[in-house]
Amino acid sequence: MHEPRTVQSVDGWHRPGLAVTVAAAVAVVLAIAYLGLHREEAGLPQIARHAMEIALPTWGTTEAVNEIVYGSRGFDTFGGTFLLLAAVVSVTTLTRSREPRDEYVGEATAGRREQQRVGAPTGTDRGERTARSAEAEEDEEEDPPLPDPDSLPLGDRAPERAAAMTVFVRTAARTAAVPLAVAGVYLMAWGYTPGGGFPAGAALTGIAVLLYAALGHRAVRAARPGLLEPVEMFGAAVIIGIGLVGLAVDGSFLVNWLPLAPQQTIRSGGTLQVFSAAELIEVGCGLTIAIFALLGMEHDWAAPDDAAGSGA
Amino acid sequence: MIVANYLVAGAVFCLGLVAVLGRRDLVKIIMGLSLMESSTYLLLVSLAYRKGSTAPVLAGRPSGVSQSDLVHGDVADPVLQNFCLTAIVIGVAVTAVFLAVAVRIAQHYRSVDADDIRELRG
Repeated sequence: MHEPRTVQSVDGWHRPGLAVTVAAAVAVVLAIAYLGLHREEAGLPQIARHAMEIALPTWGTTEAVNEIVYGSRGFDTFGGTFLLLAAVVSVTTLTRSREPRDEYVGEATAGRREQQRVGAPTGTDRGERTARSAEAEEDEEEDPPLPDPDSLPLGDRAPERAAAMTVFVRTAARTAAVPLAVAGVYLMAWGYTPGGGFPAGAALTGIAVLLYAALGHRAVRAARPGLLEPVEMFGAAVIIGIGLVGLAVDGSFLVNWLPLAPQQTIRSGGTLQVFSAAELIEVGCGLTIAIFALLGMEHDWAAPDDAAGSGA
Repeated sequence: MIVANYLVAGAVFCLGLVAVLGRRDLVKIIMGLSLMESSTYLLLVSLAYRKGSTAPVLAGRPSGVSQSDLVHGDVADPVLQNFCLTAIVIGVAVTAVFLAVAVRIAQHYRSVDADDIRELRG
């Protein structure tokens, strides 16, 4: 059984003179272009003024940025959302482990311990054992095996190997998580934030990461691929559905087809609010999948011999 | 002097470019790309700034100011703020994909040195 080895970071440069020359040339071009941009005294462009004018009569919202994100430029947001979905699918594919797993992090370590308890590997012959022991002797940089994270005392030096942080950190994380979650959902629900669902989804992802960092992988066991991936697809389907209903009802994709509610209420904004809520699901699940998939990759290092033998 | 913001955005972009072109560590290259993305956020938000303007919000207005005054008054450009939001989301997505590729390269080559990754070289 091979424990993960470390990869040394590299401190070198590759043709630094060329890099600086190219960057300096780009800097000159950018400086010329940027100096020609409009300044702070310029008037508002027509499209921005138009968005301010239609925010209340057409969409019933007082938040002009939200009106642009999900209304005037809703199709752009639609594209951005599905670009995020494509990136999440790419990360999921790239980080996929060799065996199917139910959880993102921690499960592989637990499985390895169980395997060691049930039976040590016996399928090697004498020659291979000799070669492996010789290799292990040669390799002086071999790391000591990782200790069982749950047997370490809390607040151990090397917090990344302990399952949880000290009682102060755990209590603070538990206390902060609930108001943060409420604040995130509130900002989306009342539309008082530019972008609505985008920052709210990022805030919810931040809570998942906070709980993982403070309490260990057991606290985020609910965030498993079997749950997050269907929920994310549901969010994406809702966004497509909103657009298609608008196309069917009013002849235009992503047009507002809900009746206008009084301004500054939870329903004001019509389909903006539904789009924003679907975006919260989409962004929150997508970023959580991407982060936990990346965190879970460290457990899937190929043994050096396997990599050489199979050409993988 | 909002021009200073533009020039700083250009300088940050070029610093990121130096890291992408010149560094050999894949993680530092990704950090350089992230820096280049961040420079566009600074540029877009600076472009949205208008002197003496308010936020593009039609609620919470002071007494004596109607919503129609706000619609036609001086506000920061909401369209460019929207661009910035979109850019942040796409920047996060792209960085996640790059990091996943970097971890796979590190597992395959046992190195994060761009000079070691030469299998496709003709």
